[in-house]
Amino acid sequence: MSTCKSLLRICLRPQQPSLLPRVHCRHESTTRRHQKLLALPEAPSYTSDRSAPTLIFNPPSSAPNVYHTPLKFLPKDDKRRQLYAAAQRYATTTAHRRQTSPVAMPGTPLSAPSFLPPRPSASLPAPLRQPYEKRYHLTAQEIEEIRQLRLSDPDKWTRVRLAEKFGCSQFFVGMIVKVPEKAEKVSAEHEAARRKWGQRRRTAREDRERRKVLWGRDA
Amino acid sequence: MKRIPVSRCASQLLAQPLPRRPSCPYATAKTTRRSITPHNHRIQARFQSTAAIQHDGELEVELPEAAGIASTPSSRSASRGPRAAYLKPLPLEQLPSPHPSAAERSTKLHALRSRLSLPPRFPLQALARTLVHPSADPNPAFNNASLSILGRHLLGYYTSEWLLCNYPRLPMPVVFAAVEAYIGPKALATVAGEWGIEAAAEPGGEVDSGLLQFKRLKSGDELPAALRRQAPWKWNVTTTHKIMTTDEFGSSNAPPSPHALQKTPVPMEEAAQSFVRALIGALHVHLGSPLVKRFFRDHFLSRHLDISTLFDFRTPTRDLSRLCAREGFEGPVARLVSETGRLSRHPVFVVGVYSGKDKLGEGAGSSLDEARTRAAAAALKAWYLYKPVEVTVPSSMEGELDTSKWRPNLIDCGEVIV
Repeated sequence: MSTCKSLLRICLRPQQPSLLPRVHCRHESTTRRHQKLLALPEAPSYTSDRSAPTLIFNPPSSAPNVYHTPLKFLPKDDKRRQLYAAAQRYATTTAHRRQTSPVAMPGTPLSAPSFLPPRPSASLPAPLRQPYEKRYHLTAQEIEEIRQLRLSDPDKWTRVRLAEKFGCSQFFVGMIVKVPEKAEKVSAEHEAARRKWGQRRRTAREDRERRKVLWGRDA
Repeated sequence: MKRIPVSRCASQLLAQPLPRRPSCPYATAKTTRRSITPHNHRIQARFQSTAAIQHDGELEVELPEAAGIASTPSSRSASRGPRAAYLKPLPLEQLPSPHPSAAERSTKLHALRSRLSLPPRFPLQALARTLVHPSADPNPAFNNASLSILGRHLLGYYTSEWLLCNYPRLPMPVVFAAVEAYIGPKALATVAGEWGIEAAAEPGGEVDSGLLQFKRLKSGDELPAALRRQAPWKWNVTTTHKIMTTDEFGSSNAPPSPHALQKTPVPMEEAAQSFVRALIGALHVHLGSPLVKRFFRDHFLSRHLDISTLFDFRTPTRDLSRLCAREGFEGPVARLVSETGRLSRHPVFVVGVYSGKDKLGEGAGSSLDEARTRAAAAALKAWYLYKPVEVTVPSSMEGELDTSKWRPNLIDCGEVIV
């Protein structure tokens, strides 16, 4: 009973903590905050539904090995397709038989155990950016107009303004019309701003660039 | 076989042998039989003779009596005419490299042969020859230059075929890097070191045949011109050109030919790699290709190489969406699998790249962008590192009458080009 209450309390906590300094307000007993509140329900992979002794295999979650080719990347005639399909079917039936614990909801680290194929559920994790359809809506005249506006006054008609006006991306504007003089001017401005940096900021920026190169290398 | 060294024998040919004070009477008794080789490098250094003479045909070799070979006349010296008669036999110290007959008496060679599990029918003379670098002995009949050329091509063939069959989707730069990691000069020098190959301080006829013979590059000296020369194959080097015409590593400069390294001091790495290549060549000549393939599998393919560390993606997200478009999958969507500490100093985001409902890759990072890029790179690696379940390399069917075990290998359409 107490577990349910504490879980409720966890779930009802505000999602975004406020940025104001935390004021000490005491409305719970110390015992409750330190002991009862921390008694979380067990992870589903540790709780067996049978009383008979079972084997618990629960390795720490880790990124999947890149040598394990995903199902989609296997060629048509690969044997592993059938094996993966069988595992997927087994996981589906198991998942439908068992109820998901609230601590293993999608969006939590326990939702995707590293040793099994992902559980088939309608709710995939939330996308970072809303996926969008590509609209090929600009006609030749509009493209010509963009080109004209950009070349007539590159300071007024920047890429951002043109993208807003015609409902396309800035990248597309840059692709269809290039103004080298403006680009030179902007890069000179950036260079001048960079020259004002002190030692610490310069080092930090350079280190950041160096770390960024490593993203595609040691992943 | 009696050997006639070419152009390395000194002008002190007719001079008295250098006085050498034996350290003990036992050693004096031994030197009369000449069956021991001086291990003291100070002694070896005294017997260096580097002045070359032009008329080198009429040299006689003083051979150890114990071997019983000196009594048998060599066909080569007999054919050289009667002028050989009035010359004194050449002492061992003036040979550029150990005499082939000394191979049977070298304990190091016996030990090396059994350490490498080579069958006894592999002659020790051949093993001794693979240890002589052209910088020690310029005579191509006695150094390992020709064998190392053969061995290099065999190694390149076996390694690249194994890589291409096992990882059919690897991009070409990664294949080149993997070949270099398996059988590149550094790897071969490491292999030689692990086999327990030791280098002679100075090459010479009196040195034990089990030591690697090469002319050392003194520390602090510059590399010789033959090794330093950076001659590009061509000015416009494309990947196709690298595949078709350059060496197995796809290098931009032509490596020096082993025959071009005569009498040039070389670093240890160069000599060690030429030994390993020459050993492969000698095994092929004396024992045949099945044993070479087994030797290659045991000593080279057994070395662990994590190919996934050889990749370097600059725009992984763009490459991945291009790949999905090419293969007809749904476009990749980055989804936040889990996160912790978003407002703290060290957040961790775990992002998965999904195509439709299938997860292609997963990456963790301290920013959403980093996690997304890493996830895309992981998905690309998962694509490129596909490995078929059963693989038969083409060389396994060499000389086989029954070709029913042959399975055609997967041939991929190539890497993603953005």
